[in-house]
Amino acid sequence: MATQHEAETVRRPALSEYLRWSVDHKIIGVQYGVAAFLFFMVGGAMAMGIRLELWTPTLDLMASGSAYNSLFTMHGTVMIFLFIIPMWAAFGNFVVPLQLGAKDMAFPWLNAFAFWLIPPAAIVILLGYFVTPAEAGWTSYPPLSTLFSGDGQTLWALGAHLLGISSIMGSINFIVTILNMRPPQMIIWTMPLLCWAVLATSIIAVMATPFLAGALTLLLLDRVAGTTFFDASGGGDVLLWQNIFWFYSHPAVYIMVLPGMGVLSEVLSIHCRKPVFGYRMVGLSSMGIAFVGFTVWAHHMFTSLQPELRIPFMITTMIIAVPTGIKMFSWLGTIWGGKMRFTSALLFALGFMSMFVIGGITGVMLAALPFDIHVHDTYFVVSHFHFVLFGGSVFAIYAALYHWFPKVTGRMMNERLGRIHFVFTYFGFLFTFFPMHIVGMLGMPRRVAVYDPNFTDWNQFISFWAFVLGFSTFIVVYNVIHSYFRGPVAGANPWRALTLEWATTSPPPVTNFDDDPIPFEDPYGYGTEASAAYLDAVDAAFSGGRPTPDGNQAD
Amino acid sequence: MAELTADSLHAVATHDDHGHISEDEHNSNMKLGLWLYLASEIVIFSIMIVGYIIFRINEEDIVAQAHDELGVALVTANTFVLLASSFFMVMGLRAMQQGNRSGMLRWIGLTALGGIVFLGGQYIEYSELAHLGIVLGFDDASAWSTFGMRFYAPTFFHGAHVFVGVLWALEVMRRGAKGRYDNNPIGIEMFGLYWHFVDVVWIMLFTLIYLV
Repeated sequence: MATQHEAETVRRPALSEYLRWSVDHKIIGVQYGVAAFLFFMVGGAMAMGIRLELWTPTLDLMASGSAYNSLFTMHGTVMIFLFIIPMWAAFGNFVVPLQLGAKDMAFPWLNAFAFWLIPPAAIVILLGYFVTPAEAGWTSYPPLSTLFSGDGQTLWALGAHLLGISSIMGSINFIVTILNMRPPQMIIWTMPLLCWAVLATSIIAVMATPFLAGALTLLLLDRVAGTTFFDASGGGDVLLWQNIFWFYSHPAVYIMVLPGMGVLSEVLSIHCRKPVFGYRMVGLSSMGIAFVGFTVWAHHMFTSLQPELRIPFMITTMIIAVPTGIKMFSWLGTIWGGKMRFTSALLFALGFMSMFVIGGITGVMLAALPFDIHVHDTYFVVSHFHFVLFGGSVFAIYAALYHWFPKVTGRMMNERLGRIHFVFTYFGFLFTFFPMHIVGMLGMPRRVAVYDPNFTDWNQFISFWAFVLGFSTFIVVYNVIHSYFRGPVAGANPWRALTLEWATTSPPPVTNFDDDPIPFEDPYGYGTEASAAYLDAVDAAFSGGRPTPDGNQAD
Repeated sequence: MAELTADSLHAVATHDDHGHISEDEHNSNMKLGLWLYLASEIVIFSIMIVGYIIFRINEEDIVAQAHDELGVALVTANTFVLLASSFFMVMGLRAMQQGNRSGMLRWIGLTALGGIVFLGGQYIEYSELAHLGIVLGFDDASAWSTFGMRFYAPTFFHGAHVFVGVLWALEVMRRGAKGRYDNNPIGIEMFGLYWHFVDVVWIMLFTLIYLV
């Protein structure tokens, strides 16, 4: 067998293959990833615009408050619908079939179709910015989104509709792939934790996204067909939108962060050379979060809800901290006493842990009703969800990028640049968003361009570090491009990892595996002689036993 | 190396279009995928159905008046046509499973016809209602001001599903005529699951809007 693999030259797909329709999950994964990252840059540029406007307490960059409204509306929409959610589809697409030893996703054509819905949706949404832009925020509450907005809002709803359809189709594909296409030796309890996370995420997406689709359908009818589902003056119900929207969008928060939690379990275990602490509980806690996530939506409506419903939602919201806490302690237990290799992937994973725990704690604070009413609609809330979505999701996305880049391209990323990138991102992020807690508690409202001059110093501090954070993105862009062409050859298994995606060439051949791969009995069983023998066998099969780039063969 | 070669685990020889997986696996993937899709459809319908229920509880007068105007005879006949088409659908699948291709084409053709008749009935009903002044948009001047949207949104959304189902039935006939399902009728079964789903949703809407 060894000779057959050595004779194989590892061919990377031509760059033009990424611009065409392709049903190969590895191509589609990269298409998702590159497209999502481009939208990250677009949304990031909008964030820079927001921070530039907030440099002074008066209007300067923006012509009017409305222009500012549409700017942060687009920022939120692009980052959530066009960046984070598709970005997880990127890693899910590339990695999950490989981890399952499958040759492709269950429905390759559907997979490609789901991706190709994204460019038209993005065009529709972004075009809206140039007509009469949507300015009701990414949550688009009526009556702002019905009576007080123009055609851009209609285009926004159409684009979001398309993205929802794409997300549902992609998720059906993941569920079927994960449940039906594992190798016979891999029961669900020996499945890699990323697959558990993607499974939980996809179940949420299939069950929650249709709520968004339904709400958007009614919103579009209100906007174009003269109905009054959300208009109280026409017998409609304004709160109906908030209820349906958050019944989707709160579970969607977990769509955005659960895959990142799966990435954390992979990266921490592999780069600390230790089994995952409490594997079963981590897998089950993903399901727990998915389930409890459906019972907490109205905590977004504490100030608009019937008062008697507030306490029940306060309780369920606090309960969801339990499965999340299980994960946090599992990660701590995993790195405890581990043989840590401070790779860029591990640094970002540790960054995730430190930032997400802050976001989680402020989440419990916001769940407490009296506190929530005090900081409602202030920068405290902005800070909280950026700690969860940037400190959480984006840090995990970077960890996943540094971790799987060698598998995708066959080249290692530059670790020195990776560390520089980490330092800029970590401190840029921390000093941008942590002070927002303070200005929020001092009473600075969100979603305004003109603020009390007393907050000027804080805002200039925040804006400065936001620009540092914005700059850090260019480091990773340079690193990716440079490493794609000049990075050292990675070999099949540079991290000496046990999951199946590393038991094939980098990048994998079109059919992923030449033979049906046999998974190691425990996907995280590091530190045993059996696992060392398995890893040596993988190395021997794919790189003639060549040492890994960091020369570290020992386990 | 024995760990990696896996001689004992050859993939099943039959391949589907993508050359990846066995027929059994393909069939079970398709069915699970369709069930998940139908689960997401249930959510969308349930939003409109719950919206109607809330409206019905709050606005009993308008609903009572609407019941007087809505002709139950036409829509009952329509419901039976749709139910019958589900039966034709089952017969079509059975015919294909017995290897009777032309029988399958006849039964699925009848299924599509049932769908078309249903849509025609719905068109007639909509025309009559429009004549009475029940329209989709909100109209302050009309006594029906808020009934129209609650009525048209779920029934039209359902009608759109029947329309898609008719197109799907025609596609099943086209493929079936080429012998696509001679060995593996999964494609017909998939269409059947969808068609039964559309039928079940209609029974709920019919009960809720016309009977209760």
